[in-house]
Amino acid sequence: MQSLEPAAAPNSPGAPLVEVVDLRVRYGERWALDGLSFTIGAGEVVGLLGPNGAGKTTTLSVLATLREPTAGTALVAGHAVDRDPAAVRGAIGLVPQTVALYPTLTARENLRFFAHLLGLRSRAAADAIVQAFELAGLAERADDIVSTFSGGMQRRLNLACALLHTPRVLLLDEPTVGVDPQSRERIVAAVHAQTAAGTAVLYSTHYMEEAERLCDRVVLIDHGRTVAIGAPAALVRQNARVARLAVVTRRTLPPAWLAGVAGAHLLTDTRPDAGDGGNATHVAIDDLTVATQVLERAAALGGEVMEFHLHQPNLQDVFIDLTGRALRD
Amino acid sequence: MTTLLTMIGKDLRLLWRDKAGLIFLTLAPILVITVAGFSLANLYGADPTGQTAYEFPFVDEDGSALGRELRERLAHETAVNLRVLPSRTDAEQAVRDKRAGTALVIPRGTDAALASGDAAELILYTDPVKYLERLNVRMRLLELRDELTTARRQDAVRDVRREMEQAQADAERARTALAQAQREGEAAYANAQRARADAIARGQASLERSRQTVEAEMQRAADAAAAQMAAEVRQQVDALRGPLRHYLDTVQERRAEFDRWIAELRRLAGSHAADIPPPPQFPEMPDALRQLAGDGALPIRLPSPPPLRLSLPAPPKLELPAIPTPPAIELPEFHLPAPPALAGGLKIFETNLTGGPLHINTFDQNVPGFSVTFLLLGMLLGVSLGLLDERDWGTFERLRAMPIAAPTVLIGKLMARFVVGVVQMIVLLAVGWLAFGVSLGPQPWALLLPIVGIVFAGCAFGLVVAAVAPTREAVLPVGSAVVVTMAAVGGCWWPIDLEPRWMRSVALAFPTTWAMDAFNDLMIRRRPVQAALPPTAVMLAYGTLYLLVGIALFRRRLRRVA
Repeated sequence: MQSLEPAAAPNSPGAPLVEVVDLRVRYGERWALDGLSFTIGAGEVVGLLGPNGAGKTTTLSVLATLREPTAGTALVAGHAVDRDPAAVRGAIGLVPQTVALYPTLTARENLRFFAHLLGLRSRAAADAIVQAFELAGLAERADDIVSTFSGGMQRRLNLACALLHTPRVLLLDEPTVGVDPQSRERIVAAVHAQTAAGTAVLYSTHYMEEAERLCDRVVLIDHGRTVAIGAPAALVRQNARVARLAVVTRRTLPPAWLAGVAGAHLLTDTRPDAGDGGNATHVAIDDLTVATQVLERAAALGGEVMEFHLHQPNLQDVFIDLTGRALRD
Repeated sequence: MTTLLTMIGKDLRLLWRDKAGLIFLTLAPILVITVAGFSLANLYGADPTGQTAYEFPFVDEDGSALGRELRERLAHETAVNLRVLPSRTDAEQAVRDKRAGTALVIPRGTDAALASGDAAELILYTDPVKYLERLNVRMRLLELRDELTTARRQDAVRDVRREMEQAQADAERARTALAQAQREGEAAYANAQRARADAIARGQASLERSRQTVEAEMQRAADAAAAQMAAEVRQQVDALRGPLRHYLDTVQERRAEFDRWIAELRRLAGSHAADIPPPPQFPEMPDALRQLAGDGALPIRLPSPPPLRLSLPAPPKLELPAIPTPPAIELPEFHLPAPPALAGGLKIFETNLTGGPLHINTFDQNVPGFSVTFLLLGMLLGVSLGLLDERDWGTFERLRAMPIAAPTVLIGKLMARFVVGVVQMIVLLAVGWLAFGVSLGPQPWALLLPIVGIVFAGCAFGLVVAAVAPTREAVLPVGSAVVVTMAAVGGCWWPIDLEPRWMRSVALAFPTTWAMDAFNDLMIRRRPVQAALPPTAVMLAYGTLYLLVGIALFRRRLRRVA
């Protein structure tokens, strides 16, 4: 396991609000979680990354008290999920992967219902509902039936329902799946607002760019185990990723056409591009300035550059590197 | 509690927004009840509106009172649609053409035969394929026949009795007249007797008066004659008394003169006077003679005729001939024979011990039956699909992660469905009452007992189905199969007594059986609330069992899913 864990979470003034130690969950003969450990401090956003079946949802289920751990420890706001689930439930806000709303009720009815279940009454509930509408940007549609909402609106409302009682720990299970950029921005902003208030956030997602941008740290898991943990940039750096340049030329370039270009080396041979009939070559470059040289060399060799794509190394690369390219269903 | 109410309110609001669900709960059962009610109406004879009546050709060859009466009665039967045809050929053809399952012919002479005491037959053409129609029509005809023959017998007996009573009355009048005559004869006799006595008395009195008159007249005559005789005697005496008195006076004077003489003689004889013998003495005149010659009252009683006391003999007692005694009328006693005992028709007197009507209609069975069916469908599908909806929507997971007790979610949903189920049953029974005239029994409020029982059992069984059927696709076949079986076997669609004995035993395992038992007791048999207590208790027991099993299965399933 790669670990770039700091001694304590950056925004954490004290003990972590989520503390997972050697967490194990077994489904029959299969270990869904097999020794998972991480912490989340107050005001910290921790991304939970992993391929399908890696154990992300199981981890969230355990922390949300929906499933008891087979072994290990999971503390939320200081309460063990298996020994004091009621206290844990009072401390968390869960945003399930599905839009957990009543589609035939209005947005206000949904919020009012969940507010009541969260113990908010009269004025407190009304205030929380108003804030939730502001946060979700749905005040104008408050009395519309939820099923008439777009996917993004439903996702925003889905998040708002979990924030009504200002939870100390927010558990989000892929909250931005299938939403438009504007809604995604609103969701991300809402999460940021929560962390600013000291909420610890566990953010499960497949969107690496989102995790990179939002999370203070990410926990990359696979097969129920922690594969890597740390700040996204640190993980990228640690995995020594380089930028890649894809060059598409009208004519085939010779085999050693990059010879002499410092800081660049071929990743693949030139081969026909599936697009508009050109030939594609993938080149690893050490620096962005090298990209210009590579393009100039290709042009000089009569390749006639039709297009090129520059790919900066990112968290997804790390993810693929660490979890492989095999399909997970 | 607030949380529970919130859960219930949410589910009720969800259902309210589910227009299709509401239609399923209310309009669909009403539609099915209506369709089934009319479709199965002939199972019970006919629907109350007569729209399902059998076509019933009718031929009256006899043209008699019997035919007219039968025709009139059949015309009022909602079970048949009477078609009067001119000939039996037409009736046969109607049955052969399947336009009718039965046809009735009243042969010529039927009524006359019956009137003369002979046997008579009606002809009923039937199509055995239309078995139920044949049975219903035949049974109704038999009932009508019973009614008619009984009515006729009663009429005949009534006629005889009336004639006998008339004869009795006539005899009584004759007897009364005789008695009157007897009384009048006796009165006349008494009058005659009195008249006779009066006549005798009057005659006797008259005779007496005549006798007295005669006697008085005779007495007066006798007295007058006696007085006249006395007067004449006195007159004669008086006539004699004067000379007598003169004589006596002369004698007296002579005596005096004699005395003087003697006295002179003596004197003259002087000394010899003594020698003179005493003269003879004049006898003293007796006083009586003196009195007799006196002026005074006669010293003697003149002889007078003895007083004549006439006494006529009493008149003879009048005797009138005796009045003959009126003959004693022996009033006859009229002993009329009892009315002839006609051979009575053997009629089965059906006594309905339930307090309800003898004939029920299709809706009496179908309204509670299909209400229970759709209630269970609503409960099973509502609870299980509701829970699946919660799962599919993700709200169940969200609810489980909220600070509320885990059972609250289930209980809230079940209670919401319970409320909906109770309202659904009340609405459906009310519609049955208003639209189809179904009775709600003597205590309509008592229906709440089986309603609560079956709704509770249905809710709890919905939880079992939800726990057993993992998907929406599984719920529909599992739930439908269970509901259909429970409803059908439990007697919701037809009277449970149509089922074989073993099936009825199996049916005891279904709450529907107990629900229908209670509903039938209250609504059809019109029994009081006590009748619904045992089946309600059984339903509640089943509901409790289902609830426990459902919770156990649901927990296990939740553990598996998580």
